[in-house]
Amino acid sequence: MIKKIVKKKEFTLVVLLLLINLVLGILGIIFKQPFFSMSTYKNILISLPNFAFLSIGAGCLLIGGNMDLAASTVGCFSGVIIANLYHLGVPWFLCIIIALIVSCIFGFIDGTLVTKYRMPAFIATLGVSYVVRGISYLFSAACAGGQAGNMNFKSEQIQWIAKYKPVAKLPVIIFIMFVLFIIYGILISKTRFGMKMKLVGGNPEAARLAGINSRKIAMILFINCNFCAGLAGWYNAAKTGQGALTALSTAQFTGLTAAIIGGISFGGGEGGMFGAFIGLLILQSFQVGMNILGINPYFYTTFSGLLLIIALGVDFITARGKVAVKPKAKAKEVRHV
Amino acid sequence: MEKSLEFRNIEKLFPGVRALGGVNFTARGGRVTAILGENGAGKSTLLKVMNGDLKPDSGALYINGVEQHFESPDDAIKAGISVIYQERQLFPLLSVAENLFPGQLPKTKLGLFDKKKLMADAQAIIDKFGLKIDPRDMVGMLPVAYQQMVEIMKAYRRDSDVVAFDESTAPLTDSEIAILFDYIRELKAAGKVVLYVSHRMNELFEICDDVVVMKDGQYVKSFEVANCTEADLIKAMVGRDIGDTYSNLKRNDKFGEVLLELKDVRTLAIRDVSFQVRAGEIIGLAGLVGAGRTETARAIFGADPLLGGEVWLEGNKLTLRSPKDAIDAGIFLCPEDRQMQGLVMWRSIKENIAMPSIDKLSKGIFVDYKAVEDLADEAVAAFDIKTPDNDKIVGQLSGGNQQKVILGRWINSKVNTKVLILDEPTKGIDVGTKAEIYKLICDLACRGMAVILISSELPEVINLADRIIVMHNGHITGTVDRADATEESVLRLAMLD
Repeated sequence: MIKKIVKKKEFTLVVLLLLINLVLGILGIIFKQPFFSMSTYKNILISLPNFAFLSIGAGCLLIGGNMDLAASTVGCFSGVIIANLYHLGVPWFLCIIIALIVSCIFGFIDGTLVTKYRMPAFIATLGVSYVVRGISYLFSAACAGGQAGNMNFKSEQIQWIAKYKPVAKLPVIIFIMFVLFIIYGILISKTRFGMKMKLVGGNPEAARLAGINSRKIAMILFINCNFCAGLAGWYNAAKTGQGALTALSTAQFTGLTAAIIGGISFGGGEGGMFGAFIGLLILQSFQVGMNILGINPYFYTTFSGLLLIIALGVDFITARGKVAVKPKAKAKEVRHV
Repeated sequence: MEKSLEFRNIEKLFPGVRALGGVNFTARGGRVTAILGENGAGKSTLLKVMNGDLKPDSGALYINGVEQHFESPDDAIKAGISVIYQERQLFPLLSVAENLFPGQLPKTKLGLFDKKKLMADAQAIIDKFGLKIDPRDMVGMLPVAYQQMVEIMKAYRRDSDVVAFDESTAPLTDSEIAILFDYIRELKAAGKVVLYVSHRMNELFEICDDVVVMKDGQYVKSFEVANCTEADLIKAMVGRDIGDTYSNLKRNDKFGEVLLELKDVRTLAIRDVSFQVRAGEIIGLAGLVGAGRTETARAIFGADPLLGGEVWLEGNKLTLRSPKDAIDAGIFLCPEDRQMQGLVMWRSIKENIAMPSIDKLSKGIFVDYKAVEDLADEAVAAFDIKTPDNDKIVGQLSGGNQQKVILGRWINSKVNTKVLILDEPTKGIDVGTKAEIYKLICDLACRGMAVILISSELPEVINLADRIIVMHNGHITGTVDRADATEESVLRLAMLD
């Protein structure tokens, strides 16, 4: 039993997380900065929701063998929609529903381009992200009467997720985030959809030839990814009280990085939500820790990039290295033996 | 000095397969050496090693007695080796002339590309071969036979000391074959080393001087064409054990009702395909590569859309929109390419076995992992899959065990197998596992399933199938009963136009 736990990838991640905390803590003692304190961990916790939704959505999509570079832009647009519609007097719940539906529609468009027209996800979603960005500027300009800009708003109901603090002065979004991580975690590891999605992510053609509807699953994951992005956009707008035109621009990278550090394989078909959560904790421990220690924040960006490269390298060397067959190239070699 | 090419102890391992195991022989200049062997004997792999495409795990190549180590095909070309592959290596969107001089386009004094000279040089080569091709034509638009000739002219242009032909005549018609043979004779006269891989026996006797026979990645024997017969070569190629493998099989001789019927099935790749399969019958689909066998299987399985015709199972017309429809009806396919189409290589054995049955193995939305484990246990036991546990990643298994995982997926207590289509089930699999798979195919027929067997290894089809349907160019050219089936009778139909 213990052996089995130790062998798991998640175990390594937890150890890594503890190690990083320990190092930061010791550095804190040396530099006489209080890293080991309640407020530090509260800060880490509060910073998580910024990226959690993008991480969940992108993580699920990645397990299913696809990626979506447009997600953060869609999330940003979602915030812009909410702020501007509310400003125009649309009821608060309609603002949110419309924003989420629009997000899902972009997910559907991504999914159609990739599953039906077989475009490479990387390029297709890159294109969509520019389209969405453009539309969000046009939308903002139309709503504000000519000039696109960040729209400020104040609404108790819309901002509830960020401002309402039921326990220990923690906003309700934290609890929503935990619930979502658990629900998606169970979905991936325990349900038939989760099992199919990992198989589709590992080899969509083989899954199709075994009777699994690969396209449908990919489509659901694209829509889900953008739905999650829409949620992220809502939260971001609620937190800042603004529908900013450049919101979430770095969150995409952090969300995706967390998922990959958390063991979600870039090649698809592998990983889970617990790993993604730990990955996020690792990244945020770094950020908050470096902040407290007074280290130049530019180091953080450099560092998370390095961490991503290392995570990808480890993924390739350990998990995939054991399987001697690499995708197309090798398969072709064997075919002509 | 006489030119020569020597292979010394060449070994090459692939996951699960020993593609080459100690190949030793010398091909001499001024002679044409044929490399003969069944599919999977290692001929293509050997050519790839020789061309620098693959690096041997041990052993080396010697040209004129000098040891060679190639890092890339470019090194091999510089060392004077040209290999004309089975799969053409051309740039379909570039002109014939540009394809003939890849990377070595003539330059003008200003260093710009000299189109005039390029076209003239290319035309000279084309004239030398007496072909009616315009050097400005886009290669992708040429008929396949001419594309193959472009590939051959490329080798001529390089003027290499060693030239190897891999099934080069397959897409050619008689007139181009005559041109090719003239060229080969010319190479021979110039004292060059010529290697010639082909399945066509009569060609070997016409053009070759020596024959090297390979089997299961190993060098078996050399012959001089002048002193051997076709029978000698086949005996060396097949070896002795094959006959036994087939003779001990328990065959089903009681066929049931018609289970599967195809009526004028048409897809992008096949047309007018009609046949019936009875319960307990093994149907062999034979034909050359590209004849439409795999495409027929994919049509029955719903993997390629039907453009016309009907597929009937047990008297019901099937609507095949996707493989799922075929699977629900009880028609299963073990695809040709295990790694790309059959398995999810990075997932566990149990997941790969449970794949089509996930919904049946679930309670509500949740997967019943106990049931998945049981199903995997059942398949592992039934097919003797060699693994420590069901969580092992499929990609870490040998080719034979991988094939058994796919078989386990389609034959177990959770699925109702009516028709099983096996596309190249023994490709890249060792002899022992092959025998197991043959036994299994016969068992399935005895249990009343209809089996459709596609194999490029003719002896397999001839010895296992009750009836052989031969295809050529996307349609059926004839049916051979078990009693009349010989390699000649099947091949004659397979090459029929």
